[in-house]
Amino acid sequence: MTMNRRRLLGGASALAAAGWLGSLTSGFVLRPRWAHAAGPIKMGIATDITGPIAPSGNANWQVAQFTVEEINKAGGIQGRPIELHLEDTASDPKIAVGNVRKLIQERKVDVVLGGITSAMRQAIKDPIVNRGRTLYIYPQLYEGQECTRFLFNTGPTPAQQCDRLIPYLINTLGKKRFAMPSANYVWPQLLNKYARKVIEANGGEVVFEEYYPLDQAEYSATISKIRDGKVDCLFSTIIAPGLQPFMKQLYESGFQKNGGVVTCVYYDENLLNYHPAHEMEGLVSCLDYFRAVNDPFGNALQEGYERKFPGSKYLFTAGSASTGMYRGVKFYEAAVKATGGKLSREEVAAAMDKAVLENGPGGGAQMVPGKLHARMNMYIAVCRNDGGRTRYEVVDRAEMVDPREC
Amino acid sequence: MDFAVKFAFDILAFTSVMVLVVLGLGVIASMMGIFNFAHGELVLLGAYTVYLSSELGLGTWPGLLAAPVVVGLIGLVLERTIIRRFYKAPIIAMLGTYAIGLIIREIVRGLLGGHYKSIPEPIGGAFSIGGLEFSIWRTMIIAITLAVIAGIYLLLARTSIGLRVRGALENPMLARACGISTGHLYALTFTFGAALAGLAGALIVPLYQLSADIGIRFLVQAFLSVMLGGVGTFEGPVIGAAAVGSLAAWLPWVVTPVLADPLVFVIALAIVRLRPQGFITVGRL
Repeated sequence: MTMNRRRLLGGASALAAAGWLGSLTSGFVLRPRWAHAAGPIKMGIATDITGPIAPSGNANWQVAQFTVEEINKAGGIQGRPIELHLEDTASDPKIAVGNVRKLIQERKVDVVLGGITSAMRQAIKDPIVNRGRTLYIYPQLYEGQECTRFLFNTGPTPAQQCDRLIPYLINTLGKKRFAMPSANYVWPQLLNKYARKVIEANGGEVVFEEYYPLDQAEYSATISKIRDGKVDCLFSTIIAPGLQPFMKQLYESGFQKNGGVVTCVYYDENLLNYHPAHEMEGLVSCLDYFRAVNDPFGNALQEGYERKFPGSKYLFTAGSASTGMYRGVKFYEAAVKATGGKLSREEVAAAMDKAVLENGPGGGAQMVPGKLHARMNMYIAVCRNDGGRTRYEVVDRAEMVDPREC
Repeated sequence: MDFAVKFAFDILAFTSVMVLVVLGLGVIASMMGIFNFAHGELVLLGAYTVYLSSELGLGTWPGLLAAPVVVGLIGLVLERTIIRRFYKAPIIAMLGTYAIGLIIREIVRGLLGGHYKSIPEPIGGAFSIGGLEFSIWRTMIIAITLAVIAGIYLLLARTSIGLRVRGALENPMLARACGISTGHLYALTFTFGAALAGLAGALIVPLYQLSADIGIRFLVQAFLSVMLGGVGTFEGPVIGAAAVGSLAAWLPWVVTPVLADPLVFVIALAIVRLRPQGFITVGRL
């Protein structure tokens, strides 16, 4: 049997078919249980249901369903129910642009929420906000500097994650010599820039700042630099898949045993299972919500979420943009209530600018007028190891921290 | 001195991981002339077997022992049903095995919910010699890698199965004329290569996180190793893997890590350009 054109074409088309099968999951409508004469308010969710970012994307989609169901049960917004439209952005900005356009052109949604990575936000904001003339809400913690009109950010910014955390590390824990091992992409680079300023302003010192390919598997050179530089605090922005080999080699080098502290500002409840418990012990994180905050409102939300999605692999956490998604949906609800049910982008955006949430996971939140970002409570939590089981302990809280953006 | 020992250990440990991953790929490429693009996913299945056994409460050891058997059997089924149709068309074989890999990877991603899972080492902790700490599991990996290399070498060089495999590799027609069933041999070789992939996955997963992409991250470097070492011999890919592995571990010490990754490729491709036949060109097994 020799290679000929027919066989090659046959093989290639089988591959292409496999690719199409993968994208069949996108495009999904969740209709409300009741109707209103004016029709439903259409909310578009564009998130990563498949691909490497799928764990966060699915958590976002479930939180959106949960939150919208609660709103619809309570009578909707100004009497109108919300209809959810899902498009899979497939962890791939190229696919995302086309799918997001469907949300706007075919489904004609009134607002789009979603996007996890900054690359995704950059890819879909133009089709949504500029060409699509639709409101966009981005839910994830991120590197800041997103000041596009009609794009509201509901996750924490570098200022919210660093302004309280770094003084805590320096003054309370007494750490002075920092190192910044980082994955090589936009979030670590811009976050480090901000964190370095705060470290230096508080009398700390950055021994080195270094970037790695995302899937680097061998870190002995870095570990030796940490040892030789007498680093006592790591401000790490390494992400999976390079994360576990790094943490393992770090632990084996005795860094934590010798009093070193690791801090990583995206560590939430999902990350508790990423490493063996002894490697996690003492890790410091700073986010807008932890289950350990133990606030009655947040606990009730968790219970409701667990009832709707029993035993789900996708947790309602802060690091996966779920808390930002909850706030995004509720801010939109508050804004449309304020406009008296009018859905035009300009009117909703003007109301959104001043929107306030009394309650949320970890506490309420309020948009800072003219700044496109939200004030929220921030918590510093330390990871504890109870005989092989990990949990967070909240050691510090700050009320209504300013995002300091735009 | 301390530094040199530690440095040598780290590089040796990572090189062993690289060699383990490449072994199965090299065996299949050399003996059958097929570049198995699903190799990374066979590694993944080995890792997943360990995860399953620890999830079922059996601990990691049963998974570690079962992984080569389970993945070997999966390899056998794949060879009998699909791979054997590709022997005459190496390019279709690449597409076909890539598709198989894609299917396996996405199924595992679904089963894991896309999450990353931590697998504890079967023997954790460290031991110290002269005040230096060495990870026990990394030491085990170095030892097992050496043992596996020695075992395969003996199998191919000293047994009658090895003789027949080498015969079928040199001249399949003549081998068939001598009454050697090349079909059976190919099935055996593929099963063996898959089992090696399974073993590699099971051994290395405690060092990394189990995720659907665990195989893919080593795959490109593994192919480079095989190219560098040369197809058609057993030692070639092993030496290639040792070269790529030690380059990848050593370069971040001297250049910024982001540059180290592409530099490995640049250096390796330069070598391939100078020695297109690979390191080993004479003295086949």
